[in-house]
Amino acid sequence: MDIEVAEERDGGALVLLPIGRLDSANARSFESIVMERVGSGEQRLLVDFSRLNFISSSGMRVLLMAAKKLHASQGKLVLCAMPDHIHEVFRISGFDQIIPIRDTRESALADA
Amino acid sequence: MAMMDELHVSLSPRLSAVRSLAQMVEEFGDANKLPDQQIYMINLALDELITNTVSYGLRGVTRPRIEITLQVGETSLALTMEDNGQPFDPTANPDPDLSSAVDERPVGGLGLHLIKTFADRVNYEYVNGKNRLTLEHDLTPEAR
Repeated sequence: MDIEVAEERDGGALVLLPIGRLDSANARSFESIVMERVGSGEQRLLVDFSRLNFISSSGMRVLLMAAKKLHASQGKLVLCAMPDHIHEVFRISGFDQIIPIRDTRESALADA
Repeated sequence: MAMMDELHVSLSPRLSAVRSLAQMVEEFGDANKLPDQQIYMINLALDELITNTVSYGLRGVTRPRIEITLQVGETSLALTMEDNGQPFDPTANPDPDLSSAVDERPVGGLGLHLIKTFADRVNYEYVNGKNRLTLEHDLTPEAR
């Protein structure tokens, strides 16, 4: 199953906006989009959560893979505009300690 | 809308079943005025558990079945999942190291850890050829 992902260029960063639900059914589709962008040389990647209402651990796994790959090439992944219920899961899993999460697109761009 | 305090779903074990089940859980949660965070955690658990069971536990089983029950009581919410797959105790799975840096952080093992962390009580048993996992979440009085 494919996920719908809007893409925007903001400053020098690529912003990905996954839409709706990112779960085990479409995590592979999201993985191929994200890893293709990282593989083609994007160094500043933002994932904007404002249009996402559900992410499962399989979706979080994709973000971790991207963060690892970008970290290895001195690039950066920053997440932003996360709904409270999703932010809580990132906090409990410790993901907020290894992937920066910002409230707004603006502050995320400043950090990416 | 009338209060509905139990939701029981018998699933045909396909990965796509997670989607329609999630919709039912959301409607059940809304009807019972459960907090968004609780509904989200239940659906997070179901996505993980059903995916694992369909992908591994039920492989090669002649008549695979998954039964999901959600019960809202006065003080707690209980999710029970039963399946007739290979015995698998998720509570025995080791927890991932959540303090490691980005380079060392393993990419697997997260889902089960989240489930165990969010539930107030977790119980697993294997009875009559079925795995039965129960997750209980306490409900705060304000949430009811």
